[in-house]
Amino acid sequence: MKRPPAWPIHAALCVVSFFMLLPFYWVLKTSLTGENIFAYPPSLLPVAPHPFFYVDVWYYIPFVRYFLNSVIVSAMVVAANVILNAMAAYALTRGFRGRKLVILLLLSCMMIPFQTTLIPAYLLTGKLGILNTYLGLALPMFSTIVCIFVFKASFDAVPRSLVDAARIDGLAEWRIIWKIMLPLSTSAVATNVILSFIWSWNNFLWPLVVTRDPLLQTLPLGLARFLSYHENTTGALYAFCILVLAPGILLFLLAQKEFIRGLTSGATKG
Amino acid sequence: MDHAAAGPALRAPARPGARAGAKRRREAALAWLLLAPALAVFLLYRIIPLGWNAILSLQEWSPFKPAVWVGLDHYREMLTEDPTFWEALANTLWFTASAPVGIAIALGIALLVNTDVRGRDVYRTFVFISYPLMTVAVGIIWRWMLDERVGLFNYALRSVGLIEQPIPFLQSFELALPSVIVANIWQIVGFYMIILLTGLQTIPRNLYEAAAIDGASARQQFFRITLPLLRPSLFLCFVIGVMSSFTSFDLVYVMTNGGPGHSSELLVTYLYKAGFEMTRFDYAAALTVVQFALLVALTWIGNKASGGDAGAVERG
Repeated sequence: MKRPPAWPIHAALCVVSFFMLLPFYWVLKTSLTGENIFAYPPSLLPVAPHPFFYVDVWYYIPFVRYFLNSVIVSAMVVAANVILNAMAAYALTRGFRGRKLVILLLLSCMMIPFQTTLIPAYLLTGKLGILNTYLGLALPMFSTIVCIFVFKASFDAVPRSLVDAARIDGLAEWRIIWKIMLPLSTSAVATNVILSFIWSWNNFLWPLVVTRDPLLQTLPLGLARFLSYHENTTGALYAFCILVLAPGILLFLLAQKEFIRGLTSGATKG
Repeated sequence: MDHAAAGPALRAPARPGARAGAKRRREAALAWLLLAPALAVFLLYRIIPLGWNAILSLQEWSPFKPAVWVGLDHYREMLTEDPTFWEALANTLWFTASAPVGIAIALGIALLVNTDVRGRDVYRTFVFISYPLMTVAVGIIWRWMLDERVGLFNYALRSVGLIEQPIPFLQSFELALPSVIVANIWQIVGFYMIILLTGLQTIPRNLYEAAAIDGASARQQFFRITLPLLRPSLFLCFVIGVMSSFTSFDLVYVMTNGGPGHSSELLVTYLYKAGFEMTRFDYAAALTVVQFALLVALTWIGNKASGGDAGAVERG
């Protein structure tokens, strides 16, 4: 078969990549120079770059505090997801009465996106007395149905005889999960970690509703607040933006395969 | 698999019936115990809210005031006296209608990346990278790109001579919503691309070889082989697009906050405002019920239209 020339494909893909990357470049440039915030025409290349907007971020806002809040909430969510989802998935690999019903229930719960539960979820969190706490921020995301099924698929592939042998050797059930199931399901664990991390790290609407205390705010809230105070009058906003995006981009580049697999397996989660 | 047998060791004992019964009860108790924490989360944050919404939508209630049943009053108000609801609904449907545009672009990119061109992994990364990023930050980036005075878009359009005066994209009644939609497509297109790419890779190569031998043109191959076999992936993308338009909040909140007026209001931003800015939780609950019903209906239609296999990829 005759191979078509490669250059038109390269050309098209370069155009696409250009449009995908341009916004990043533009914001990075603004965060380093700020010269075009009021000036027209804007210069396309960074002129006299300086790091002062990044220093501003440090002094204008409690960046470290926001960052730590985000880390704490995400760590709680990720840990809870791995533990709760693994437990639930292990239960579903066993035969018991009502198993089909549970699966049906989980599949229908998947159809309820979090946004449609917002009002009652807020009122309920108030009733539980955990508005304005880390727990209140993290609790709704403690378990994810997609991730339960990811674990279940992986656990189902573990040979039955291995589990039976472990049980005859007198291994407790929680140790079977911990010592046999999880080590044999590293890619499912990776999917769980990545998905729950992204969802909690980027989550905006729930923290917006549930926190009043500025000291409890997470990064996306801090970013939105900064925007509402300063509009686009300072390059610090864009420096803040870059600081928020950089860890995500780095993480993505390091674990790209896992990210892509994880996100496609979580496809229908709202 | 469904009736996972109790291990062979368990069937041996002298009084199989009694022993096995006790064993089964213990197994069931253990299973429910393991399921309990996860189910509790879903009960608290999915199932109870669903019912609570329905009840709240039929009541006149606000914090510190006793609830009064008012039947369908909120729904009547929504449908007959609230133009903002209709505007938010129309905007949400426009948002949904834009999904095929994003999917078409993604299909084009997926086809390009699916060739054995060099550096395809790098291109794929470039296209996908915006998807997992924080949407609030993406909104700020796009505000800046679309800025009236010094935004790159206006600069480019003016330099080429397409426009005389800068366009206030986000302050304009006609362009605010399309601007948000463009930003949304920019963020989600990589995700569509990955799903379509996965679909493309399941199409057997020899189909194309056979078609080529039979003299089918590239065009015919695309319309007779690629598109039909890609149908499940395309519908999965569409279902995701519907979901994202009915749940999208962050982008609009940051870029326009629903304005100017309510010209870029979506159902989610409107119910947020109704609940947390106007403190009308009861009315917001009614909005949520309608939003949820529409979402279920649209997803159901999507699934039906695809022959029920829209979920095949993620369950595979």
